Amino acid sequence: MVLKIFFPQCCNMAASGLLIGHWLPGQDSAVVLAVVHYPFIPGQVKRYLSQLRNESQVELAVLGSWSMPKDGQEGMESFLRDLSTIFPQGRWLQLSREMGKKGFTCRVVQRDGGLLGEEGENGDGDGDGDGDGDGDGDGDGDGDGDGDGDGDGDGGRVIFIHYDQRKVMLCQLHPPEGGARGVGAVIGGEESSELRLVFSAVAQSQPLFFTDKYDDGPLKLTHWQSEGREGSIIVELAKHASVPVCLLLTWLLSLWTWLCSVTNLQPVRFVSSKLSTCVQLSYRTEHLQIVSSPKTALGHSESMRKANIFVSFFVDVALGLLLISWLYQENRISRLANTLVPVADHVAKELQELLQWLMGAPAGFKMNRALDQVLGRFFLYHIHLWISYIHLMSPFIERILWYVGLCACLGLTFALSVLSDIVALLTFHIYCFYVYGARLYCLKIYGLSSLWRLFRGKKWNVLRQRVDSCSYDMDQLFIGTLLFTVLLFLLPTTALYYLVFTLLRLVVVLFQGLIHLSVDFINSFPLFAMGLRLCRPYRLAEGVKFRVLCEEPGKPLHLMMEINPLGYGSVLQWYRTPTYSCYPKDSWAALCKKLFVGELVYPWRHKGTKID
Amino acid sequence: MPGLRWLLTHPCKGASSQPKCSVARGWRAQVIPLVNRGYFCSICRFRKLKGRDWTGGDPFSKWISGSLVMGADSGPGAPSAVPWRKVLYERQPFPDNYVDCRFLEELRRNVGVRRYRYWPVVREAGLVTQQLSCVAVFLTLWWYMYQGELYPFTLLLAGLLCALLGYGLYEALGGSRGGGRTRLADLQSAAIFLAFTFGFSPVLKTLTESVSTDTVYAMSALMLLAHLVTFPYAQPSPPGSLSLNAALFGSVCLASRLPGALHTFAMLTCALLVFALWPCLLHRLRDRAPRGFPWAAALVSLGGVGGLASQSPGGAVVLALAQLTLTLICPLLLLWLQKHKDNIQGPWDEAEIHEDLSRFLQ
Repeated sequence: MVLKIFFPQCCNMAASGLLIGHWLPGQDSAVVLAVVHYPFIPGQVKRYLSQLRNESQVELAVLGSWSMPKDGQEGMESFLRDLSTIFPQGRWLQLSREMGKKGFTCRVVQRDGGLLGEEGENGDGDGDGDGDGDGDGDGDGDGDGDGDGDGDGDGGRVIFIHYDQRKVMLCQLHPPEGGARGVGAVIGGEESSELRLVFSAVAQSQPLFFTDKYDDGPLKLTHWQSEGREGSIIVELAKHASVPVCLLLTWLLSLWTWLCSVTNLQPVRFVSSKLSTCVQLSYRTEHLQIVSSPKTALGHSESMRKANIFVSFFVDVALGLLLISWLYQENRISRLANTLVPVADHVAKELQELLQWLMGAPAGFKMNRALDQVLGRFFLYHIHLWISYIHLMSPFIERILWYVGLCACLGLTFALSVLSDIVALLTFHIYCFYVYGARLYCLKIYGLSSLWRLFRGKKWNVLRQRVDSCSYDMDQLFIGTLLFTVLLFLLPTTALYYLVFTLLRLVVVLFQGLIHLSVDFINSFPLFAMGLRLCRPYRLAEGVKFRVLCEEPGKPLHLMMEINPLGYGSVLQWYRTPTYSCYPKDSWAALCKKLFVGELVYPWRHKGTKID
Repeated sequence: MPGLRWLLTHPCKGASSQPKCSVARGWRAQVIPLVNRGYFCSICRFRKLKGRDWTGGDPFSKWISGSLVMGADSGPGAPSAVPWRKVLYERQPFPDNYVDCRFLEELRRNVGVRRYRYWPVVREAGLVTQQLSCVAVFLTLWWYMYQGELYPFTLLLAGLLCALLGYGLYEALGGSRGGGRTRLADLQSAAIFLAFTFGFSPVLKTLTESVSTDTVYAMSALMLLAHLVTFPYAQPSPPGSLSLNAALFGSVCLASRLPGALHTFAMLTCALLVFALWPCLLHRLRDRAPRGFPWAAALVSLGGVGGLASQSPGGAVVLALAQLTLTLICPLLLLWLQKHKDNIQGPWDEAEIHEDLSRFLQ
C-alpha cells in the first residue's frame, strides 16, 4: 500500500521541528496539521497534545520530524531523528527538505528502530548512516519491519499530497451524487471516505490553529493561522448582538403564535387557509422561528438553512421596501385604484358580450334555446350583481389599496401574495360561473353515465365494483329513458357553457399559479449558499482534483489537492429551503380527466404537504 | 374399406389449408371414418360429409397422412391378454390415446334437436310479425298527428279506452296475481307515467328544436330498429330493458317533432301503450289463452297494414309482403334447414353433469 501524507502548503517553508498530525484510522495515510518548532520541551508538547485531543476529539499525535536546513544548524538532523525515542509511535516519519530542491526526502522508521523505507535522492550522500534496504511496501501497517530488501524501485511508495489548510478547514465536502464528474477528480468509494476523514480531521482540529506566533505560550507552531488569526470585528459584534435580538424575536413570535392560536376558530381558519397572504404569513412566522431559535445550529446543513432563510428574508424585505418606495411616490396608488375599477368594469362588459354570444348560436352550434336562455340570463344577472358590487366598493378602493400596500414592507412575497388574493377576489364572478358550470356539467355527466347503464339494462354494483345486469321495473325504465333523452339533448348546451367558463377559470388559475411560483421561488431559493458558491467556491466542495507538482524518478510523487466546487444545480438541490409545494400535484392526464368529468380545479397550492 | 372403423391421423395439425385444431405438438388427432358418411376428427371436431364437400381424389390418400393408430378389426394394436379399460388412473399396456372397438358404439346423432311442425312455428312467428306491425301502427299514428289529422285529445281518449279494456282483459286472464303487484301499485305506476310524461312534455317538445329533422328521423329509425332486433321474442314479458328503452327513445325523438306539448304527451302515452303494455298483455294472452293469441296477432298485423295503407299504399304492400315472408316463408325455411341438421355426440364430448344438484342446494 502506498503511504499518503497530506501536507499543508503553509508548512512548506516552516523551520525545523516536530510534525503534528493525525494517522487516519484504517487507512495508510497521515494528515500533517502543524509543525512545532525548536526549541521545545517534549513534556510540554505531550501535555499540549493531550489537551488538544480533549478539545477537538481528534487523535493528534507527533508524526515525525521535519527538518529544514538553515545556515548554522547542521547538527539538527541527527537530533531530530533521535526524537523518535521520546515520542513513541508506530511509525516515525522523517521529512527533510534541502535548499534549492523542490521535493522532500522522507524516511519511515518503524517503532523497533528498523528503517522501513527511505524515499529520496538515493546516493545523494545526505549523511544517513543507516543501511538503506528497501522494505516492501505491503503490510507495513502492523509495524513488523521485516526489511527484506527486494530491490524494487522506490518511487511511488510515499505520496505527498499538498493541501491548502485554510480551504480544507472551511470546506464542506458533499457526498457525490454519482454520474459524470470532472476529469481530474476521480474519487473511488474508498478514496472518498478517506478524503472525508482528511477533511473532518482538518476541520475538527480547529483549536490547534488558534495559537499564533504572537502567543506567549511555550510552543511555537506553524500552520495556516500562525501569522495571525483571521477574524472580523463586525462578525464578532454581530454574534454578540444577535443573542438579545434573537431572544426578543422569539418572545414576539411566541406572542404572535399565541394570538394566532386564540383567534384560530373555524371560520377564520377556513378563510385564512384560502388566502395566500395568510399562508405566506404562517410560512414566514415558521421561518423566523427557525432563525431566531436561541439554540446553536447543529451541523452544517442546519446552519446553512438558517443562513439561507435569513438572507432570503432580508432580500425579500429589501425588495418589498423598494416596491413601497416606488409605489407610494407620485400618487401611484390612486392612479392604480382609478384604473382598477375601469378594468373590472371592462372585464365584466366583455363577459356580458361573451354571454350574449353564447345565447345566440355560438360558433354554429345548435344549442337548446330554452336552456341557453335560462343559463345566459342567470349568468347575466350574476354579472349585473358583480358590477354593482364593484361600484359600491369603488370609493373605498384607493384607501384599501393604500393600507394593503403597506404590507409590502414585510417583503415582496407578501406583496405578491396580496396581489394574488386581490386577483382572486376581483375574479370571484368567474370562479362562481365556473363552479356553477362545472357542477351542472358534472351532474349531467354523472347522470348520463348511470342512465346509459339503465338504458342497456345494467347497473353499477357497488359491492363488487363492476357492472351487473339488472331487471328494472317498467316505470323505472320509462322515467330513466325520459331523463336520459332530456339529459342527452341538453348536454351540448351545458358542455359549451362549461367549456367557456373553464377556459376563463384556467386563465385566472394560471396567473395565480405564476404568482405562487414566484413567491415559492423567493421563499425557497438558497441565496446564501449561492452567494457562498459565487464568492468562496471552496466552501462547498463536490470533490477534489489532484495536480502533479513534481514527479521525478527516485523521488516521492508530489500532488497538489485542489478543491472542486459544487455545481450551481447541486447547490440548489442541496440547500433549497423546503416549502409548500406549489407545483401541480396531478399529472396532465389527471388534470384533463378532472376537467372532462367536471371536477373543480384549484390553483396549485396544497397546504400541509412539504416537499424537500 | 367402408365398414371398418379406423382411427387415423388427421392432418389438422400441420397443413394450413385445413381447419385449425388446437392440439399440442406430439399428440395425434384422430380421424374417425363415419360409416358411409365421411370422416370426423375427434379433436378438432372437423367433419367431412361424404359426397358434399369432397373435392375429389381418393379420400384416404388425402386425409391419411400418419400411421394407423389402432383398428378394432386389425391386428397391430396390442396383442395383450389384458382387456383395455377406459380409465387413466391405471397403468395399462396401451398408448394414452388408445380406444377399442366400442368407441363408436356410443356415437349419437341429433340428440337435442327438436322436430318442428309447420303450424306451431307459424304461430310463434306471428309474434315477430305483430311486433313489426306495432311499430307500423305507432308510426301511422305519429304521421296522423304530425299532419294534424288526429287530435291529441282523441288519441288520449282512445288510448285510455284501450288501456282500460286491456287492463280488464289482463285481470280477467290473470288468475293468480304473480309478483305481488297490487292494483294500488298498478295505479301508482300509471300515475307516475302520466305525471312525468305530462310534466316533461313541454321540455321534450323543445328538446330537439335545434337538431335537424333528418337527424331526428335517422335516430328514431335506428332506435326502432334496435327495438325490433333486441325485442325478447322468446319471453316477451317484461319487455327487455334495451328494447323498451330504444323504443321509448325513438318515440321521444319523434314526439318532440309534433306541434304542441299536448301532442307530445299523447304520443308518449301511445308509445307506452304500444311498446310497454301491449307486449305484457300479449304474453299473458299466449300463456292463458293460446287460442286467442293468433287472432290477436293477426288483428294487430291487419291493423298495421290497414293503417299504413290509408297513408301510403306502397308502404302497406311492402309491410304486408314482409309479414307474409316472416309468417309463412321463414318457418318453411326453418323446417327445410332442420332436415339437414347433422349433429353428433359421443364420448369425446365434454362431460355433462346429469346429477340433480338441487338436493345439495337446499
